[in-house]
Amino acid sequence: MTDQLTPRRLIIKIALCLALLVIVMFVCSLVGTQKVSLRAVFAGPGDEPGQNIDYDIFVRVRIPRVILAALVGAALAASGVVLQAILRNPLAEPYILGISSGAALGVIMAVMLGLSWRFLGGSPLAIMAFVFALGTVWLVWLIGHLAGGSGITSLLLAGVVVNAFFSAVIMLLTSIIDSQQLRSTIFWLMGNITEKDFSILFLSAIFIIAGIAGLFAICQKLNVLTFGRQEAQSLGVNPRAITLVAFALASFITAVAVGLSGLVGFVGLVVPHSVRLVFGPDHRQLLPTSALVGAAFVVVCDTIARTIIAPAQLPVGVITAIIGGPVFLLLLARYSKKVGSLR
Amino acid sequence: MNIEVKNLCFAYKAQSEILKNISFGLGQGSFLSIAGPNGAGKTTLLNLLSGLLKPMSGSIKIDDAPLQSYSIKQLAKKIAVVRQEFVPVFEFSAAQVVSMARTPYLGALAFETDADKEAVADAFEMTDTARFADRPLNHLSGGERQLIFIARALAQQTPILLLDEPTSFLDMGHQVGIYDLLKKMQIENQKTIVAVTHDINLAAQYSDATLLLAADGTYKFGPTRDVLTTERIENVFGVKTFAAQVGQSRFFFPLGKYGKGSRA
Repeated sequence: MTDQLTPRRLIIKIALCLALLVIVMFVCSLVGTQKVSLRAVFAGPGDEPGQNIDYDIFVRVRIPRVILAALVGAALAASGVVLQAILRNPLAEPYILGISSGAALGVIMAVMLGLSWRFLGGSPLAIMAFVFALGTVWLVWLIGHLAGGSGITSLLLAGVVVNAFFSAVIMLLTSIIDSQQLRSTIFWLMGNITEKDFSILFLSAIFIIAGIAGLFAICQKLNVLTFGRQEAQSLGVNPRAITLVAFALASFITAVAVGLSGLVGFVGLVVPHSVRLVFGPDHRQLLPTSALVGAAFVVVCDTIARTIIAPAQLPVGVITAIIGGPVFLLLLARYSKKVGSLR
Repeated sequence: MNIEVKNLCFAYKAQSEILKNISFGLGQGSFLSIAGPNGAGKTTLLNLLSGLLKPMSGSIKIDDAPLQSYSIKQLAKKIAVVRQEFVPVFEFSAAQVVSMARTPYLGALAFETDADKEAVADAFEMTDTARFADRPLNHLSGGERQLIFIARALAQQTPILLLDEPTSFLDMGHQVGIYDLLKKMQIENQKTIVAVTHDINLAAQYSDATLLLAADGTYKFGPTRDVLTTERIENVFGVKTFAAQVGQSRFFFPLGKYGKGSRA
């Protein structure tokens, strides 16, 4: 029993991943089209705004953006872990139950209606995405439960149907909006990280970190739940209650992430998988490490997205898919060989 | 009484009753086989006993308290369940699977204490499976996997063990191995064992009591020797058998209409 998980081992692994994340965040905030000197940054903001440009770029532009990318990555990766567990399907990802199409519909409507109000520092696009994302997953949950059946299958079917229906509505709307509106919508759909106010960053950080902490508290129960509802119940876990809590928290943090950055794809599928291949399937370890690795991954991808064709910027979702795919295949080839040799 | 069932009735939605007025009692440390043809409700009865299904009428008592008075967590400290062949989705190792037995005992932080680790190590020792503790469950043979699930049930440290056809996909050697293990646990650890089985002869050889369910909803409960007779087996399964005594057990050989030795 060499790979038994103990609190000590878990803390060491989390600390390592956290250190990795901090280093990645620090390095990435130094990278950019404008060279930033660290010495100038530590000299402080100066007496009047605009006096120390290095400081302004580093503290007011780069750091918020890097933190934002990390939050989005952590939320999507954690949510992916949890959905794969409750749906007992390694192909599940945060968007599988309709979040993406719901959010997209919200954004398209915000663009079409030309909304311009702000709420708690959030743009109408972000707020509409968040509200529609949450509304859609609850609609899916409701349909899944009214349809009855064995829970998981009806939930997945409801997700597929709602996704298909909303996609059709989105197609309809995109075919009638004008090209300028279309461009901003498409950028959003591909996942786009831009600078945000500190206030909205702070609020989102609280939501996402609290959500992940709540999910961490039920990790052992998620382990048991991957064996199915009956098995979970005979091992003392209430499958209904745990599924509901996991579903609610995971969709909430996904909706926050979608509100912040649009539909950043691939992170929620590839990061949990890669971490599981390396660290194994125990959720007590898989969830926190995936969140940290996911955060580092999106920070790196966003740095590439904002520098590679500078001064223009790519949507970060393009980079996550382009880098995530090959990296994942590499891990898969390497680790499935290792597993195969055990037989 | 460890398990006491009174006038138990159950039907799935809008279907006719599958279990009618079933009553029986088991003391601590007894071995019951539930036998009967496909569709007679064997697994349904097991699911009722484990609290997964709720009876339409009648009552089930575990250690003299009604089943529904236990919370899911409390019940998991009384009853462990081993189901039919099952392959999990994710590649948990055998050690991780057996450790999950301790879930109802874990505190808020959900990490195993020394007592939990000891229970897991004991379960590996009892089932003689420690050598594949580190291997993923998906990479074990059916027999090995079933042993791991029995080890998990042992690590749960419950007075009652329910098994749903634990050996139906296993070869002869593994079948006998698992039943020997169950018998040993009954005698040495005073566990109450309830096993659903298709195999009349495993029931005849190992169990003290047998509950024979017929497809029409009738049943017979009693000492295995009294319940299993050639006439009753023919009535319930629709097959003639030849009975032979070996040691203290009576075994039954089915006689098909077109088999070599048949008179048809």
